[in-house]
Amino acid sequence: MKSKILLALLATATLAAGAHAQVKVEDAIKWRQSAYATMGWSMGRIKANVDGTYNKDEVVKAANVIQAIANSGMGALYVPGSDKGKGWAETRVKPELFTDGPKVGKIAGDFNQAANELAKVAATGDAAAVKTAFGKLGGTCKACHDDYRKDNK
Amino acid sequence: MNSKKIRVWDLPTRLFHWLLALAVIGLVATGKIGGNLIDWHGRIGLLVVGLVVFRLVWGLVGSTYARFATFFPTPGRIVSYLRGEWRGIGHNPLGALSVFALLGVLTVQLLTGLIANDDIAFVGPLYDLVGRDLSNLATGWHKLSVNVLIALVVLHLAAIMFYAHVKKDNLVKPMVRGWKDVPAGEPARGGGLPAVIFALLIALAAVFLASGAWLPEPPPPPAAVETPSW
Repeated sequence: MKSKILLALLATATLAAGAHAQVKVEDAIKWRQSAYATMGWSMGRIKANVDGTYNKDEVVKAANVIQAIANSGMGALYVPGSDKGKGWAETRVKPELFTDGPKVGKIAGDFNQAANELAKVAATGDAAAVKTAFGKLGGTCKACHDDYRKDNK
Repeated sequence: MNSKKIRVWDLPTRLFHWLLALAVIGLVATGKIGGNLIDWHGRIGLLVVGLVVFRLVWGLVGSTYARFATFFPTPGRIVSYLRGEWRGIGHNPLGALSVFALLGVLTVQLLTGLIANDDIAFVGPLYDLVGRDLSNLATGWHKLSVNVLIALVVLHLAAIMFYAHVKKDNLVKPMVRGWKDVPAGEPARGGGLPAVIFALLIALAAVFLASGAWLPEPPPPPAAVETPSW
């Protein structure tokens, strides 16, 4: 009995430690890339609905995904040392992202806000409002791509 | 000084020039702003495909001073111009260099733009032909070479100012009105309606090709495909 309690305590302690453990650089980059790819799927999904036949359900699902990722605290994945390295592929982040604190924070905040707004209007099913919010969100994606992501050469 | 009024720039050349100027402004603006305007970037880009192809054909079948053969900047012509011995009408040899450079960079922008993607939700109309890797590469070039385009436009404008203020030669008026007062020279000939129609048809065909409208239909909409409901 005692040993069982001890084991349980140990397991809890290990889990708790795990939650605070430093994210490995390779994992961090992989998760970042996966999150962006998933948002890419969702953006494409919304665009298909905005340009073609509008399906409220589809858009709600996609907008909720983006909102969830935007509010997941992805900043935690930009661990020191992850300005270079390979996840699923070589990261294209520019080192300035790690040093331009407030500017990056502003862009991230704009992105968050735009993602929340899109999810909100998606729930109403107003296609025109979704289109506007979608464009705004795309603009915040671009703001970061322009300044903090290397182009392919 | 004796001078006479002659026709220099035919109407198609002028229309091309001013439409292109507006389109390039629109393209740079929509490309830099992004968001939903990226759709317009794509549409205006297709228009420019038509304009540039029209101009390339017009350089062969247009009227005298619109023809590439008339103003092609050979080394001999450039040297003679720099010595102050050039007495031609239309694009002078340095201006001709600028014309070909602009058309060249625009062509690079068009070819890369047609297969580019913005990594958000927009892809060029011919993206499906090349796949992601080449598209990413083309997108990188597209963003890099737009700077060359902007630099050439600035140089173009600076040259016009230089001619207006230093050489007292207004280049803008002839590009608007088509005629110019010159001491001597022959008016532009050729480039009649059949030539216009010929160039327009080729330009339209180019726009059609660039639009990807001929590509096979995308797979049927999701509703028709059996996928799990979760």
